[in-house]
Parts: sequence; C-alpha cells; structure tokens
Amino acid sequence: MFRIRKHRSVIAAAALTAGAALVLSGCSGGGSEPAATYDPNEKVTLNFAFWGNDVRAAMYDEAFKAFNEEYPNITVNTSFLGFPEFWEKRQTEAAGGGLPDVMQFDYSYLRQYSENGLLLDLDPYLGNIIDTEPIADNILQIGVVDGTTTGIATSTNAWGLYTNPKLLEQVGVDTYEGGGTWDDYQDWMQQVTDAGASQGIYGGTDWTARIQNFEIELRAEGSYLFSEDGEPGFDKARLAEFWESGAEARDGITIPQQQLEEVYPLSGFDAAKTASELTWDNFGAGYLGNLGESFTELGLVAPPVTVEGAKDLYLKPSMLHTISAKTDHPEAAATLVNFLVNSPEVGAAFGTNRGLPASETQLEGAELDGLDAQIRDYEASIEDRLGDAPPVPIVGAGTLEEKFRQIGQELGFGTLTVDEAVDQFFNEMDVVLNQ
Amino acid sequence: MTITKPAAAKRPEPGAAAGGPPARTAPPAKRDSRRRAARRRENVAGYGFLIPWLIGFLGLTLGPMIYSLYLSFTKYNLFADPKFVGFDNYIRMFTEDPQYVQSVQITLVYVLVGTPIKLAAALGIAMLLNYRNKGSGFFRSSFYAPSLIGASVSVAIVWRAMFNTGGPVDSSLSFFGIDLGGWVGNVSLVIPMMILLAVWQFGAPMVIFLAGLKQIPVELYEAAEVDGAGPFRKFKSVTLPMLSSVIFFNLLLETINAFQVFASAYIISNGSGGPAGMTNFYTLYLYKRGFADGQMGYAAAMAWVLVIAVAIIAFILFRTSNRWVHYAGESK
Repeated sequence: MFRIRKHRSVIAAAALTAGAALVLSGCSGGGSEPAATYDPNEKVTLNFAFWGNDVRAAMYDEAFKAFNEEYPNITVNTSFLGFPEFWEKRQTEAAGGGLPDVMQFDYSYLRQYSENGLLLDLDPYLGNIIDTEPIADNILQIGVVDGTTTGIATSTNAWGLYTNPKLLEQVGVDTYEGGGTWDDYQDWMQQVTDAGASQGIYGGTDWTARIQNFEIELRAEGSYLFSEDGEPGFDKARLAEFWESGAEARDGITIPQQQLEEVYPLSGFDAAKTASELTWDNFGAGYLGNLGESFTELGLVAPPVTVEGAKDLYLKPSMLHTISAKTDHPEAAATLVNFLVNSPEVGAAFGTNRGLPASETQLEGAELDGLDAQIRDYEASIEDRLGDAPPVPIVGAGTLEEKFRQIGQELGFGTLTVDEAVDQFFNEMDVVLNQ
Repeated sequence: MTITKPAAAKRPEPGAAAGGPPARTAPPAKRDSRRRAARRRENVAGYGFLIPWLIGFLGLTLGPMIYSLYLSFTKYNLFADPKFVGFDNYIRMFTEDPQYVQSVQITLVYVLVGTPIKLAAALGIAMLLNYRNKGSGFFRSSFYAPSLIGASVSVAIVWRAMFNTGGPVDSSLSFFGIDLGGWVGNVSLVIPMMILLAVWQFGAPMVIFLAGLKQIPVELYEAAEVDGAGPFRKFKSVTLPMLSSVIFFNLLLETINAFQVFASAYIISNGSGGPAGMTNFYTLYLYKRGFADGQMGYAAAMAWVLVIAVAIIAFILFRTSNRWVHYAGESK
C-alpha cells in the first residue's frame, strides 16, 4: 500500500515534469513562418529597453501612449539605464538568450550582435510592416551588416561643438565662432578659464580624451580610425602626437580631472562647469535637461578644422532600433519599430533628442523650434565637411572607445605619461582586435 | 514483506560511539545484521535529505567553478564558443596589463591597511561596550547599525556626497584650516576614504569580540589586580591572550571579505573604478573585464588567481596562528 502510493507520486512527478517540458519547449519553439502582417486583435506584450535619462524616458512614455491609441492590444514594458550599464546588461542577456524584444541600439555594437545571430533579420518586414518609403537609401544601408538588415536608424547626428551662452555672459567672453584651428579653440578656452577663475568656470574639457576627436583628425588627413577588417588607421607615433597635443590644455586650461570625477556620470558641461564641449549634436536636449531651468539656450558650432577643405565630419546613426532574434512576436515587434521610426507622433515627442529624425514622415511630425531647429540648421551648415560614414564599427569598438576615455582621464590626472598611455591602448587593441 | 520496527529506539546514542572503542561483548549475529540494515536505511534517508542541497552544490557551485576553470584557459566573449588559448590569459595578466597590476596593488593596500584598523576599532569599541552600564544595550545596537546598512547602495551614495568638494567633510576640515578639497575625485585620498567606509562597518567583528570578552573569567582580572597590574598590563597579559582565538577568527574572516570589496567601489565610482583607477578594486575590475568588455575567459582567470591568492593567505594565517593563538584548556 505504502509502495503503491509511492509509485503513484513518482508517476505524478514524472507526468508533471514531462508536462512542464512540453510547455517550456512550446514556449521557446515558436519557429513559425513570419506572417506578413500583425493581427491587431492579438494581445501581445513586448519588452523594450533603451539607454537615456528621465528626460528621454518621459518622451518614450508619450510615444508609447500614441502607439497604444493605434494598437491598444500591444502592451510595451520599458526599462532604461545609463549607456555603459545598458550594455553590461545586454551582454549578459545576450549570453543567456533573453534580450528584450525591441531595443534602442548603438552603432558600435551592431556588428557584434548581428554576426552572432542575436538580432532578427528585418528584410521580410521591410516594405510591408516597416515602411521604407520615407527613409533615404543611404540611411537604410546603415543598418545592414554582411548583406542583412538588422537595424533601422532612427535618426542621424554629427560631431559638433556646444557652447553655453549663459556661462559665457557671466565671464564676459564672446562665444566661439566655430571652425578655426585647434590652437584657436585652445586660446579661446584659455580666455574663458582665465576670466572664469573666480567662479569656477572653465573653457572646456580636454578634447584628446575623446576618440571621436582623434577620428576627425585622422579623417582630415585622409586616414580612418579602423577599417572594416579591424586594421587601425594610425600608428603609435600618431596617437602619441594626438595625446601630446592636449598636454598644454590639460595644464591649467581645461577643467581638472578631479572635478569631472565628482560630477561623473554628468560631464563638466552638464554641470555648468565648462563653457564648451565637443560631442554628438543630439546631446543638446540632454544638456538642457541636466543644466536645469535657469539655462534656456545653447550654442552649436562646427568643431575646429584640422586640414582646410577636408571631409572630416560625417553623419552617423545616432541610434537604431533592433529586434531580438528570439522574440516570440516578430510581427508585433516590427510594428512597434515601424511606429518608432516613422510615425509623426514620435517625431513630435522626441524632437531631436534621438538625433535628427531619419524618416521624412517623422521629421514632418517633429516641430523643430529652438534647439531642435538649431541642430537641423547645424547639420545643413557643415555640409561641405561631411564625408562618407565609416563602415559599421568593428567588434569591440565600444570597449576601445571606453578604454580611450579612461586613458584620457589618467592623462588628466597625470598618473600616466603619454608613452605609457599609447602602449596601454595598443595592448588593449591587440586583445580586442584578436578576439 | 517483513515489517521492521522503527530503528531509532534501539540505536545507540551517537555520543556513546565517539567516546572510544566500546568494551562490550559482541551482540548476537541476528541483532547485528538488523542493526546494520537499520543503519543502511538511515544512511539512505540521510542522503535523501541531502539531495536538494547536493543538487544545489553540484549544479550551482561546483559545476560553475569547474566550468570557470575551463573558461580561464579560453577566449570567451559570451557570444561565440570559447576558444582554447592555454595560459595566455594568465600570462597577459602579469605581463601585459598594467591596469591589472594597479588593481592588485590598491586591493592589497585596502586589505592590509583597512583590515587591521577595522579590527582595532571593533575591539576598542567592544571593550568600551563591555562595561556594564545603564543603556549598554542601546549603545550596542546603535554601534552595530552601520554594519547593517553599510553594505547597502544608499550608504555608498551618501558617502560619495559627504566626501565631495563642498560636502560636509570638506567644509568641516576647511573650518579647521585643512584644505583638502573633495576626496572622491582625489587620486590619493579616495583609498583612505574607502578604508574609512570599511572601518565604519565594524559592527560584525565587534559583536564577536564582545562575545569573546564576556567569556574571559573575571577571576583572571582580579588575580592580575592583586599582583598590581595596571589597565594596560591587564589588556596585554589577560585580554589579548584570552581573546586570541576570536581575534584570529575575525582576522581571517575580515581579510577574506576585504579582498572581495565590490559594491561600495562600484557605487562610489559609478562603476568606472575612477579616479584614475584608484577604486578599481580586484572584483570590480574582474566584473568590468567580464561583463563590460566581454572578456569572460580573462575574467575567469582573474577569479581563479584571486581564489588561489586568498587560499594562500588563509593558509599562511593558519600556519602562523599556532604561535599566537591560545585555545582555552590548551597547555602552552
């Protein structure tokens, strides 16, 4: 009797396990052919992840509200993090097979995720669920890795020089005109730092801590940062020369690294400690958000020129949207991507927070005034300097960019010499490029 | 089907067997075999109850550890399959990665300076609390409180705010004419700040010290007093020797803990390990290599070096302990 009961429980347990296995495999299988369209009566929940701050989160909330008016049966769960944390989390999810259905995506990780088959091939949805009419061909090409479209660029941005007119007025220095040589820019920063000494205001941040400034110098000389095969377009001597060129500025002109540490993850410009910063032009709205209500406008001008007449700048996708290859609802996810890329409502919600909208319909929806109009005009004004965009970044480009930034900090602290810094970066490159 | 009675009633007391070989006559063979069957059943039951734990141990601890040992000899970026590279990761660690060397250095400073200070503070305060005063219970709990909340995210955030330029620490020091500025962004002050944060969480060793102090017989102090010993002599000749086993226990535990400092460094530096890598402690660097850079093989190798290093240090502590640790009832 005792035995029988035992047997029964064993059988029950076995049945339960088998049932669970069936359910589990049923859940993860989902290998049906993609339907051409999303069935609007189907109740679907999608996970969506982005990097950003509260300002951007509020914009996404508005966008999803508009989305739900059109598609009430798709529930979107969102989560957001800062940029480095966002990628740490994605790395672990990617390894475990649990990426969010739809993601805001960065160019520098596109190749890595695409080559490892983590992103959904969007080609079956292009032209039907995802409307490609309003997007220029060269922008669609941005999301293509090895012949497969895995990302749709939402918008473009370009490298620019932001200035803070309110701080400049406080210290009584005229704004930087834009362009000029790196020496002109340094002299101007010197003026601001001298005039702002008593108020703790500096002219800017050491520009040699950002790999993008190195890239535009290399492009101006007809070279590049990395080729598609991962070959660097510079040698140790060139990198040493670049970091050396910031030595004078680090010595009392740009904001001391110690102060930057204290405000990190904000930049000196966010914290109203520097009057200028070289960065991507879509950062403006974020800057205004972080600077607070007492700051209402920013200046945006062209970065210094390395070689006259060179095509050193380029339009880069400021971000893309991608879909996880393992999503259970590819049609619904594609519907969401289409909405986020093309809808005028999203354009109205974001302005240029994500960069200048790439899709014409979205651009029409965006009421570009103030800063947004400034960014649009800026991208038009640098047309002569815009060259071809570099190839989709090599695997590990994000790691190298971060390493470059860290080394820049150590140069700022003086804990590394330029030669040591160059050796460290080349060591790291060696590891990353041979991964 | 034979029905056996529950074995527990006839089982000898477990303590009795341990007392030495029992000098009793051999029981009849039948009784012996029945007892053996009972014991076997008991073993089966014992292992049966252990199974959940064993599964956890094998599946969640031992398995991953062995896998990580394997990974430490590979290149593994989380996406593609691990690629075997022999000892490359270990070689790179010691010869080509200045950041690793820096990380080891600051971790050692943190452990070697921070742990003794923390233990001294814990012992000192435990001794103060050992007096039987009114309200000592209140003070005991309030001194323990920082350790309860110390490891939390919020305290590290508060700590960061306190030690920033213009924060409470900076302004009170300036008041006394010591102008150090903020500690958080200062390359040479950030480690002292991290050590202070660790020392401030002295509660756990303090409680253990307090228990140890309570165990010291009062007669020893009385006898010492009769012999004319002052407070310092009593501390040196009675308290320290009587407490040495507790000190050893705390030292071991706190040293191992200190090697694994992560959360406070991660939060105070916002995950960057800055300024200039001065809070890039071992486990933080390991985490960044693994999860931010996607170099899991390298991170696994780092983890194994840490395991081996901590094991060696624990071994050395044990070896030296018989020179200075006295256990009660042990003749010396």
